[in-house]
Amino acid sequence: MSRKYFLSLGLAATLSAQSIEPSELVNPGKDSWLTYHGDYSGRRSTSLSAITPDNVGNLKQAWRFQTGQTQSIKATPIVVDGVIFLTTPDNIWAIDARTAKELWHYTYKKNNAFHIGHRGAAFYKDTVYLTTPDCHLIAFNAKDGKVKWDVVIADSAKGYWSTNAPLIVGNHVMVGVSGDFDNVAGQLKSVDADTGKTQWIFYSTPPPGATEPKSGGATGGQMWTTGTYDPALNLVFVGTGNPTPVLNGAARPGNNPWTCSIVAINPDTGKLAWGFQASPHDTHDWDANEVPVLVDANFNGQPRKMLMQASRNGYFFVLDRTNGKNLLTTPFAAVNWAKGIDSEGRPIPNPAKEPAKDGVLVAPNESGATNFRPPSFDPTTGLFIVSAQDGYGTYFFKPEHGAYGWAGADYGVAGKSSIRAIDYKTGKIVWDHPIGEGGGTAGVMTTTSGITFSGDNATNVIAFRTSDGATLWHDSIGRVNNGPISYELDGKQYIVVGGGSSLYAYTLP
Amino acid sequence: MKQALWISSAALLAAAFMIHQPALAQQPAAGKAKSAQSPASRPLPPTLTPQTYPAAQVKTGEQKFAGQCGFCHGRDAAGGETGPDLTRSELVASDTRGDKLIPLIKAGRPEEGMPGFKSLSPADLNAMVAFIHAQKTKFEGVAGDRRSVDPSDLATGNAEAGQRYFNGAGKCSTCHSPTGDLAGVGTRFKGLALLQRLLYPSGRPAPARPKATVTLANGQIVTGPVSSQDEFIIVIGETPETRQTFQKSAVKFVVDDPITAHFDQLAKYTDADMHNIFAYLDTLK
Repeated sequence: MSRKYFLSLGLAATLSAQSIEPSELVNPGKDSWLTYHGDYSGRRSTSLSAITPDNVGNLKQAWRFQTGQTQSIKATPIVVDGVIFLTTPDNIWAIDARTAKELWHYTYKKNNAFHIGHRGAAFYKDTVYLTTPDCHLIAFNAKDGKVKWDVVIADSAKGYWSTNAPLIVGNHVMVGVSGDFDNVAGQLKSVDADTGKTQWIFYSTPPPGATEPKSGGATGGQMWTTGTYDPALNLVFVGTGNPTPVLNGAARPGNNPWTCSIVAINPDTGKLAWGFQASPHDTHDWDANEVPVLVDANFNGQPRKMLMQASRNGYFFVLDRTNGKNLLTTPFAAVNWAKGIDSEGRPIPNPAKEPAKDGVLVAPNESGATNFRPPSFDPTTGLFIVSAQDGYGTYFFKPEHGAYGWAGADYGVAGKSSIRAIDYKTGKIVWDHPIGEGGGTAGVMTTTSGITFSGDNATNVIAFRTSDGATLWHDSIGRVNNGPISYELDGKQYIVVGGGSSLYAYTLP
Repeated sequence: MKQALWISSAALLAAAFMIHQPALAQQPAAGKAKSAQSPASRPLPPTLTPQTYPAAQVKTGEQKFAGQCGFCHGRDAAGGETGPDLTRSELVASDTRGDKLIPLIKAGRPEEGMPGFKSLSPADLNAMVAFIHAQKTKFEGVAGDRRSVDPSDLATGNAEAGQRYFNGAGKCSTCHSPTGDLAGVGTRFKGLALLQRLLYPSGRPAPARPKATVTLANGQIVTGPVSSQDEFIIVIGETPETRQTFQKSAVKFVVDDPITAHFDQLAKYTDADMHNIFAYLDTLK
């Protein structure tokens, strides 16, 4: 089953009108982009191959959809049976994927939770799901946008908010939240896809009154990025965020599990199978929420079920996803905060680089060596391609900053970004394509025909040659704030990407 | 172990703080800070025109502010993930009932990453202004702000070692002179602003832009400061009237950006180097 899932992405599934069965998520059709990552693997690699390195220069804009919002599109849209579902905070649109005609648009009630961005919708049977800034999950009839139900995922008055594109496995809708400004427990909630009833809650740090897991007094560890899923192992993989208090490490001694970690969870029970800490005892806001990308390939000559993450702390990890054991840990961007790598493959934080009263100069900076922007794995070249930053920041903490919420101060100094291709077998950087100063925001999608689509820190969507990173095509559309997607309708391959507050579609003439 | 290490370094820092107490007395008095000084490293500027707002309007403003501004500026307006502490902002201090704040909120500061909020209603904007002023008044009475970095916090370096680094390993003297461009730098920039500025020149006043020399296909040569550039275009010229945009693929160009040396140096500093060079520059009054 899992082998089929990983090898047969190209087989088109027959979809009834705006309805998908849970099993189809395991094997999405060419005409769709069914989940935040397109499929369960998180590889964001499409087998659609009409667009090639030789003809990508001919791409022409097919349509443009303007949201009319002040805020940029920071979502990956999903595509189900010829309909695109696009989100911004408080908003979801259903759009014709051929013409960009708006089919319906829903605006949530005014609310005062953080409106910093929204990552996308999720789909199950004939229902589409939207999280709201104040941590509600709303189920809509996909055909007409009628609300089926609305449930509360977490208490926004306590400091939770949500930007999350839910992950759906079977009838489990798994919803993550954020919450860096308050000392609140990290939680991932699973609700019944049909009824909205709570099935389980996984806590990465203990809720009030609980003693397990032992986090050393840390709260936080929020799971705000969409995870990935291996049907054969029946495990969901998700990254957890930084501990709180954020910069005051003295208030929470020890490694602070399971903050800044990759955790494997059984989607039927919410129980932890294993955890791997990317940043033990983080004091720099380096969430390990980056996409845990699932790859089946050889490692050191042996076939392996792997999980790869380019983490915000500057390290690239390869794990055996059956048990969480580390296979490779290498830096992929400027780092100066670790003394070495321990026997379990975890970087060892240097206490001298913890925030201090007179300040320490740390790489990466707070925005990280990478961040929410999703990477891609290209199975043809074995390259893991990520928007990376070599960045430096200053970090401060003194007792007056306290032990609640941020509890310290930090300031970015400077950063330079690149689209960077990593050989997963060695961690070596195969190519590096500069995209400008500061941290990047564009995600990555690769095509098995040999193209890498992403964006720069100006206003360009860019197609690179996957083998060497050379620029093949670009268009100036406004800042790209998430990953491009691809689907095929009526024999035409579309590339769709958000730039500024508009969504753009490209096809060959 | 971790905790023990932390406590001992905290004790060292406390000791350093005491040693430098005399230096603290020489810091400028409240309200006399230069505008180039970082808001986080100086006392709150006093509100120019005292103003009060109805409690209900402040409450509404608190809610609106939390949703739209709180992630960057903190729900309490005292600084968040990326945005500055507004209770220490000189713009807020000089604002009267939104005369400066509302135009800024609407327009944003795109070059510094702040979007414009064009669609907010006048009532919402006024409520936000009320909340920001109420927070400023509230924090004026609180000592030891939670995100503050005081100039005295940074005074742990050795100025003589900093001078040696300036002329030696740091190679700062290749481009800079304590009696030339850096004369008085310790007066012009204080505390955190001096630290951030020495590490990588940015902010206000804006550092000199990179210089470009562009050779057109017909042989004509255009030189000037780079206004902006990406992989595909380069824009030269200081003002909108004089700006010229060139497709990089159609011209030959050379960009001279001395600030890249500052970026390269970031990978080389030890924290002691950083504090020493700070201490040295702080003596250039």
